[in-house]
Amino acid sequence: MTRNEIKNVILEIIEDIDEEADFDSLEADKPLRDQLDLDSMDFLDIVMELRKRYKLQIPEEEYPELSTLNSCVNYLEPKLKDF
Amino acid sequence: MADYQLIIIGAGLSGLAAGIRAARFGLKVLIVEQHWQPGGLNSFYFRQGHLLETGLHAMTNYAPPEEKRAPLNRLFRQLRLSRRSFRTHEQICSEIVFPDRTLRFSNDPDLLTEDISREFPGAADGFRRLLDMVRDYDPFAPAPWRSARRFLDGVLPDGRLADMLLLPLMVYGNSEEEDMDLGQFVIMFRALFLEGLFRPAETIKEFLDMLVDHYTAFGGEIRFRAGVKRILRRGDRVDGVVLHNGERITAGSVLSTAGIPATADLADWDIDRSAYRGKMSFMETIYLLPLRRGASIRNDRTIIFFNHGEHFAYRCPGEALETSWGVICFPGNFKGLPGTDPFQVRVTNAANYEVWKAAAPGEYEMMKERWRERSADQVGKIIGNFRQDVVYVDSFTPMTIERFTAKAGGAVYGSPVKLKDGRTHCANLFIAGTDQGYLGIVGAMLSGVTIINRHLLRQE
Repeated sequence: MTRNEIKNVILEIIEDIDEEADFDSLEADKPLRDQLDLDSMDFLDIVMELRKRYKLQIPEEEYPELSTLNSCVNYLEPKLKDF
Repeated sequence: MADYQLIIIGAGLSGLAAGIRAARFGLKVLIVEQHWQPGGLNSFYFRQGHLLETGLHAMTNYAPPEEKRAPLNRLFRQLRLSRRSFRTHEQICSEIVFPDRTLRFSNDPDLLTEDISREFPGAADGFRRLLDMVRDYDPFAPAPWRSARRFLDGVLPDGRLADMLLLPLMVYGNSEEEDMDLGQFVIMFRALFLEGLFRPAETIKEFLDMLVDHYTAFGGEIRFRAGVKRILRRGDRVDGVVLHNGERITAGSVLSTAGIPATADLADWDIDRSAYRGKMSFMETIYLLPLRRGASIRNDRTIIFFNHGEHFAYRCPGEALETSWGVICFPGNFKGLPGTDPFQVRVTNAANYEVWKAAAPGEYEMMKERWRERSADQVGKIIGNFRQDVVYVDSFTPMTIERFTAKAGGAVYGSPVKLKDGRTHCANLFIAGTDQGYLGIVGAMLSGVTIINRHLLRQE
C-alpha cells in the first residue's frame, strides 16, 4: 500500500466509526483525537478495525504511534507494504 | 476447541450491547437468555391489544448527535449504530414535588437553577458550586466510597434542597439505602439534570428488535428460553455453561449479566452473598385512562417525583410498599409524541421484597390490589383523583422483577457494592450490567461495551 492509500484507509475507518466526522479542516500532523473529538474508546476501534482487516496486532504500548494522521502512515507503512 | 469464544448470560441491554461489540470484531459469540424475549427488566408485554413497556420511564443522558463526547453518542459509535437515524423525543418538563416546594427541570439545566433560586434563595451560590464540582469530577477514576449526603451538607445550606435533588437521582439508580456514593451521584446528576430525559420515537420493542438484528447481522448468535443451570468451572477458569435442559456449551470466556449473587450461585463463587444483595426494589403500576379524562387530572409533566414527608428517606420500607414518596410517569408526555387513547400513567413505589415473597399464592393478588389503592390515594394528592376512570391496571412487584431479571431480591439497581472492573474469582468469567456500576439504559449498555473492550478485545 502506498502512503496515500494508507491515509485513505485510516480516514475510511474513522468515517465508519463516526458518522459526524468532518475531515475538511483536518491537519495531518496534529492529534486526531483533539481535532475529531474522539476518545480512547474510539481509538480502540481504529486498532480493532486494523486487526480485523489486515490481521495487524498493535500492542497497547504502541497506540501513541497512531496519534496523528502522519504518524499513523509512518507507523503502518512498513506493516502494510505487502497489502 | 470450545464451541464459542464468548458466552453471554442474559439478553438485557448490557448483554446485547456486549454481544454487538464482541461480534462486531469477529468473536464467535452466543447470548443465552432464560426468557422467550430480550430486554431483561426493560422489556414489554401485550394486554388488551396494548403494548406495555416494563422498566422504561425515560432514557437518561440525552444528547444531540453532534455532542460527540456525550455517553449516548459514544455508545452509538461503539455499537456502530447510526445516531442520526435514531429518532428521539425529549421530555416536556419534569418536577420534584415536596410539601410546600416544587422544583422543575427539563433538558435545559437553567430551568432547575432558576427554580432553585426561587424556592431556596439562600442556596444559589451553593448550587453553583455543586454544578462546578459535578462538571469537573471524574466519577470513573478509582476512588474509595464517599458520602454524597455529607458532600451536599457541605455545599448546600438547606437539607431540604439536598433531599429534593437526591430523590430523582436515587430512585432512578441507587442500589444503596439512605446515601449514595459521590461518584454515582455525579453520574446520575449529569444523566438526569445536565443531559436530561428522552425516549425513543418507537417502543422498547423496536429498540430491542433493532439491537438483536444488529447483533445477528454481525454474526452473533442468540438463544431464548435457554436458562443457565450452572457455569462450568475448573479451578480458576470457566469452561462454559450447562443449560437447564442439560445441554453443555463450552466457551473461551463467559460474561454474566445476572448480577453478582446469581452469578456466584451459578459459578460456585465463594463470596458473602448478603453484601452484594441490594435492598431497594419497587412495585410499578401501569394505569390506562381514556384520553378524554386527561383534562381532569394534572398531566402536563413528563415525570413527577413526589415526597409527602418532611424528610426524604431512601430505604426499603418496613411494610410491603412505601406510598409516601414515589414517581409518577406519563410515558406519552414527550415533545412531539402523538397522543394515544387510552393514555398511560405509571406509578413507582419502593417495595419490600421479603414481605412480597412471604405472601401466600392466594394472598399475593389481593395484596397487590390493597397496596395499589393506598398508593393511588397518595398519587391522587398530586395529580387529582383518577381511579374512577381507570380502564386497565396492572402492577409488577419485586417478585416479578426477580423472575425477569435474575437480580436477587428483585434489586433493580443490583448490588450496593459494585465490581467496577467486572472481574470475578475466575480469570475468564466477567460480570457486566448494573453490578458493574453503570446505570440506566445507556449506562447498562456502556457497561457491556466497557467489559468487552477491557477484557475480551484487548487480551487477544
